[in-house]
Amino acid sequence: MSGNKHQYAFFLGCIAPNRYPGIEAAAIQTSKNVGIDLLPLKGASCCPAPGAFGSIDLNVWYAMAARNVVLAEQMKMDIALICNGCYKSIYEVNHKLKHNDELRDGVNEVLKEIDMEFKGTADVWHLAELYYDPKIVGVKKLADSVKRPLAGAKIAVHYGCHLMKPGKERHFGDTENPMWMEELVAALGAEPVQYRNKMQCCGAGGGVRGYDLAHALDITNEKLINMQEVGADAVTEVCPFCQLQFDRGQIEIKEKFGAEYGIPVLHYNELLGLAQGMSPDDLALDLHAISVDPFLKKIL
Amino acid sequence: MAVKKDYKDQKLAEKLRDRKYYIPDSNPEFIKDVEKIGQTAAHMCYQCGTCTGSCPSAPRSSYRIRLFMRKAILGLEEEILTDPDLWLCTTCYSCTDRCPRDLAPTDAIMAMRNLAFKRDIVPRNFLQTVQLIYKTGHGVPNNDANRAARKRLGLEAEPETTHKYPEYLPGIRRILDHYRLKENADRILAEGE
Repeated sequence: MSGNKHQYAFFLGCIAPNRYPGIEAAAIQTSKNVGIDLLPLKGASCCPAPGAFGSIDLNVWYAMAARNVVLAEQMKMDIALICNGCYKSIYEVNHKLKHNDELRDGVNEVLKEIDMEFKGTADVWHLAELYYDPKIVGVKKLADSVKRPLAGAKIAVHYGCHLMKPGKERHFGDTENPMWMEELVAALGAEPVQYRNKMQCCGAGGGVRGYDLAHALDITNEKLINMQEVGADAVTEVCPFCQLQFDRGQIEIKEKFGAEYGIPVLHYNELLGLAQGMSPDDLALDLHAISVDPFLKKIL
Repeated sequence: MAVKKDYKDQKLAEKLRDRKYYIPDSNPEFIKDVEKIGQTAAHMCYQCGTCTGSCPSAPRSSYRIRLFMRKAILGLEEEILTDPDLWLCTTCYSCTDRCPRDLAPTDAIMAMRNLAFKRDIVPRNFLQTVQLIYKTGHGVPNNDANRAARKRLGLEAEPETTHKYPEYLPGIRRILDHYRLKENADRILAEGE
C-alpha cells in the first residue's frame, strides 16, 4: 500500500473486472498517481444491475445493494466505483436507506438472516467526481499527473444516465449540458468536442439491450452518427456498460444495419492511464472490439 | 368498452360524450400500487407530454411513457401489464429530470414492471441475470479469456469479489431466496420453454 491520504473501498461491479479488466488496472494505478488508494472490497457482488433487478423487485435490489454497502461499512471506509450503473444501485440505495427508516428496517430484517446490518456510516462516490473535486484531486492535479498529453485528439464525452440523473437526487448540477467531464478530458491535453444530443442514453439500460437488441443499437447508432459528424477520434465515458454498448455495439451495428464507424471507446480511466504514460498493453486495449490503434497513432 | 352515461336527452349525451368515462374492468387500486412501489404521486400527471418528448425510445417504437401514465391513472392494469412496450424504457431518467410535476415517470414504469413480475410477466433476459447472480454473484461473470487478460495485467485471475471469495455466495443466495426470486425465475423460465 502506498499510504495515500485518500483511501476508498473499491467497488468493481461486473463488466470492468470481467470484460474490460484494463479499466480496473487503470483505475488502481491512475488513482494512486493522484493520491487515492483503492482497497479491495472483498466479497462484493453485482451491484445488482439496476435495470434487471429494479424492474423485477425493488426490494431485492435494495437488499442486495445494501449488502455491498455493509461490506464497506465493516471496513470503516467510503466506497469509490467506476460505473454509472453501479452508482445508481450503490449510491442511490445507500442514500435511500439513510433517509427512509421504513425502507432501512425492511432491508435490515433481511440482512439479519446473514448477520449483517446496514448502519448508514459509508458514503459512495464515483471516481470521476473524486477526480473533479479539488478537495480530493481536482483538474489541476490531474493535469499535473500527465506525462504524455493527448494532444491533437478530439474526444466526445458520453456522460451516461445514472451518474447524474435524476438530478434532484444527485449533486452534479446541470444535467442538460454539463461540461465538467470535458474539463477532465481537457486536463489530459485532448480537445473535447460537442455533438448533437450529447446527453442521450447509450441505449443499453433498463434491460433493453437484452430485451430488444436492435432497439438498443438504434439509439447507440444515433449517438455514433452525431459523434462522427464532429470528427471525434474517440468517445470517452465513465460506465463500462455504456463502453460495452458503444464498443461491441459497433460490431453489432455493422452486422445488423451495415453501418461502420470505427470510433474507439475508452473509459476515462483508460484515457487517463494513457496520458499518465501507461502502455496499451498495461490497459489490455487489445480486448476492445473496436481497434484503438487509430487513436493511439494520433497520440503516441 | 367504456361505460355509457345513458343520458335521456340525446343532444346532451352527444355534447357531453366522454369515450372513456370509465372501463368496467379497470382497477382503481392500480395507480395506488404504482405510487407506493415507485414512491411517486403519478396520479397528478397532467399529460403535458414532456416525458414522451424526452424519451429516446419513443422515436423508434410505439412506446409512449405519457400513455402509460394515463392508463395507470385510468386503472387499465391488464392493458399495461401485457403491453410489450413496457420493457422498452432504458431508464435514462430524462423524463424524470424534466417532468414539470416532478412525478418520476421512470420510477412509475419501474413500479409497473414490478407489478408485471408479480404476475409472472417479465422478459427472459431479466430472469437469466437473476440466475447468473445466484450462481456466481455477478450478472456478467468472469471467463477464461478474461482470466488470461487479467494475469497479463498483473491482476489476479479472479477479482476481489464473490469470484475470489465464493464463501460470500451463501449470504447472497439467502437474500435472493428470502424473496423467492431464484425459485420464481427458474419456474417462469421453465414454463416459457
